[in-house]
This record gives sequence, C-alpha cells and structure tokens, in this order.
Amino acid sequence: MSTINVKVAAIEAVTPLIKHFTLVHEDGSELPSFSGGSHIVVTMDAEGRTYRNPYSLMGSPTDTQAYHISVRRQESSRGGSLFMHEHVHVGMRLKITHPVNLFSLSKLAHKHILIAGGIGITPFMSQIEDLKRVGADYELHYAFRAYEQAAFVNELEEMCEGHLHCYADSQGERIDLNALLSQQPLGSHVYVCGPSPMVVAVLETARNLGWPENNIHNEEFSSPPVGEPFKVQLAKSDIEIQVPAEMSMLEAIEAAGVKADSLCRGGVCGRCELTVLETDGGIEHHDHYLSDSEKVSCRSIMPCVSRTKGKRLVLDL
Amino acid sequence: MVGSGAVLSVWLIEEINMERGYWIKSKPVYTSLKWHEKATSHLVLATGIGGMAVLKLFQQMHPTQPVKVLYGKYGQMEADYSDTLKMVVPEGLHIHKFDDALLTQFQLELRDAQMGLRIYVAGSEGFIWDVVAAAKPFGIQEMEIMKEQADTLARSVYCVHCKTISKYVTTNITACCGCERMLFVRDHFSRNLGAYMGLMVDAESPGELPAIEEIYP
Ligand code: FES
Repeated sequence: MSTINVKVAAIEAVTPLIKHFTLVHEDGSELPSFSGGSHIVVTMDAEGRTYRNPYSLMGSPTDTQAYHISVRRQESSRGGSLFMHEHVHVGMRLKITHPVNLFSLSKLAHKHILIAGGIGITPFMSQIEDLKRVGADYELHYAFRAYEQAAFVNELEEMCEGHLHCYADSQGERIDLNALLSQQPLGSHVYVCGPSPMVVAVLETARNLGWPENNIHNEEFSSPPVGEPFKVQLAKSDIEIQVPAEMSMLEAIEAAGVKADSLCRGGVCGRCELTVLETDGGIEHHDHYLSDSEKVSCRSIMPCVSRTKGKRLVLDL
Repeated sequence: MVGSGAVLSVWLIEEINMERGYWIKSKPVYTSLKWHEKATSHLVLATGIGGMAVLKLFQQMHPTQPVKVLYGKYGQMEADYSDTLKMVVPEGLHIHKFDDALLTQFQLELRDAQMGLRIYVAGSEGFIWDVVAAAKPFGIQEMEIMKEQADTLARSVYCVHCKTISKYVTTNITACCGCERMLFVRDHFSRNLGAYMGLMVDAESPGELPAIEEIYP
C-alpha cells in the first residue's frame, strides 16, 4: 500500500486521555482530499515491533493542508495508542496510508442517524462537515462516561447547532435505542462508531426493528482485543508463528514477513479474511464482518481482530 | 443506423442462440413472497393473479405486526382474487380497480411510514417495477422490496432510439409505440427504467424481419 510521509505539526491534550494530532505533509505539499468517515493507518516503528493503527480523520474533508486524528490512551491494549501518547512528539515523522473510506455516508439516505460512543466520535466530525455542506437532515447522538472526559463537546455544539444529543453515563443518561430507531422516517440510515457492545446493540436493535442491512453502517476502531498467546501455522508459507498476547494475529503475520491483505484493521471491511484449514479450540471472532453462521462454521477468520483459544490453528496463507 | 445494425447482428446471434447456462446478470431474479420476521409493519401490494401470492403469504401466517394489503383487481390477465382476499385479510385490505389508484395510495402510505415497514409486491414485472419507481423518492432501495413475479411474463421495452417505453410486450419483436421502429426485445434489463432494452431489428435490411413469436405470454 502506498504511504505518505507526514510530520507531526501539533499535539493537543483534549482530555486527560485523548490527544489530538495534527499531521502535515513532510515536504509541505497538499495531502489527498478525502470524504467524511475516512481513516488512515498510522505506522509506528517502536523498538522491536511495528504498530499499524487505524484512526479516523476528523478534520474538514476540504482541508488538504493538514490531517487531524485523535487517539485515546488505551492502557490495557497492545501499545499503539501508548506509543502515540508517550513517544510521538511535535516534529516527528510518521508514515500513513492514503485515506480509505469504509464508513461513508449513504448518498441515498433521506436522514442520517449518527451514534457515537466515546472516541468513536471522530469519524462523525468529518462527516458532519459533509452533511452540513449538502444540507442533509441528521441527528448526532453522542454517549460518553462523563462531561469531564468527553472530547469535542463544545466544538460539536457549535458545529451541529440543534442536531446534537449528549448522554453522560455518570449522570445516568443512556441512549434509548429502541425509542430512537423505531421512530425514524423511511429512507433513514443509521451509523454507529464506538465500543463493541454499543456497536452490537445498535446493529441488533436496528435489525430487530426491521431496518434493511443497507441502511445500517458501523465502524469500530477499538484496538484488537488482548488475548492468550497462541501459535498459528501458515500452510502455504510453511511457517509457524507465535502470536503474543498483546499483538493481533495480523500484526504477527506481518512481523514474520508474510504478505497479508488488510484495510480497516478493525474487523469491519473483510479484506483480511483468511481460510481456516484446521483448528482445535475454536475461534474467538471479534469482527463484525462474518455472519453468525459463518462464525459458527469456523471456516474463516479475520486476523486483524480475531484469535483462537486452542492450541492449533492452521491457515491457508 | 448502419453502424448500430452491425452491432445488433452480433447481439441477435448471441441471444437467439443463447447457450444453456448463460445468464444475463442484469435480468432480475424474483422470489416467492415470505414474511420478514423482523419488521414493525408490513405493506403488501399485488395485482391480478398476484393476489394468489398474497393468499399464500397469509397461509404462512398472519403476522403480529400491522399489515396493509393494497390489491389491484385487474392485472394483465383477468383474475380477481378480491373476494377471497376479503375473507382472508379482514383488516387493512384496500381494493383498487386500477394500478394508478393503487400506486397513489401506496405513496400516501409511504409518506407517513417509518423505518421498520417492509414492502412486498406480487404481479407482472411491469407492476413490480412501477412499485419500485414509486418507492424510490422515499429513499427505499430496490433490493429492500420483496418481489414475486406473477401474472404475465410480458415485458416493458425501452426503445434505445427514441427512449419510449412500450408496456406489456409479449413477443420477441415488437413495434415501438413511440417511433414505430421494429424492436428486438433483449434480455438486458435496466433497474432504473424498469424495462428491457429494445433495439431496432431491421436496421441493416429494412423490412427483413425474423419470425415474430409470442415468447413472453
Ligand atoms: S482488515 Fe478489515 S476486517 Fe480485517
């Protein structure tokens, strides 16, 4: 995948846990334009290993001078976000991929219902720019733990005027998904980005209420879950790889020098799908791509987020 | 005209000698109507013999969610299931004499409808795609509508020369109702137009026509 060399132009602590990074082209030229909801993958060379984390672009899609991403510090995760928080400084060079949009707004929608949880707000910030530009009807529902920890509430209030609805868990406020999704006009589309349980709840509620699949959109950029270490055998490459607890299988495969496809690195797009030839312990599917029956059959795995509980896993790669 | 005639001959040969197992992807595939398990309400539209598909739906079950049935008495063939439907669908049945009135009511229903409404249609292909077209302004995509082809196989044919659509064509070759050119009815279907492509058949040698046969009864 072709990459762009960028320089960190500014870092701002938005909340104690969230940092906002401004990236500009290394040689000062313009960056590719993008559409609301796009993400980039940032490559970080830490000692001994490479992290590749996807982050949504949250600036205005018309601004090609700089890209803006926000990173939440995930203590429990594999370190990509920690690296961004602790080692990335102003002036540092990073490699990013061209923007890819796997979470684009439907052009056919008559109304857009945007649902964000925590740091999942970021893709919506660029989408709102797009929605406002075309004058589309939308509602933004933003849930977070507490006002003190919520990013960009003031900016959003200004951007969205009356379209923003906030829910602070600390004050006992919850989104009533059933009420929200059962009273929308025909032609509505729902978009969710946030922690996995929230994504699952929105998908399930919408499906149970009879929303067609085409009208439901989700993105989940939680980092791949930490699990038990395990070994995976790549049949075609004829090697065995150790996947450490805090590394995803995709990262371990890449680290071993085997070429593997990926795009979203968040279990959504399906690009990284691999065929399972053998497994003894079953698969912990963490993706939102495979259908339930495909998950049960254990014939495919999305290595960007999924793992195995067993001792033996053989993939057709 | 001469140029397009040359192209046409190739197509003609291709389609007339259509190989077995050859399937034109643009040609819609229809199913048998079946209730969506997940829905907040249902809207069923049918004309003529399509009424039978509605009766079969109610054989499956009577959903717990609200149901409305809009039935047009006369499809292409003179089959009227109104009386049976009245017994099977005691509530929410609306019978219309003509398609136009049915489609007008359909759009009125859609205006106040909410997400969770599922739409089903049974009837001739022409009727099915009229329903699709009527639903489109409401942001409803074609694949969200469950479609059963009943009644006639007659095709709507779009004349690529004068852009007129001739309805209820039952023959392989038909005169365009706009420009009167003799059109060969192709298998290529446009979902936007809800019609099959029709191409002038005797462009190269005017008046020389292959045999006209009723193949879409
Ligand atoms: S890279 Fe998209 S699902 Fe794995």
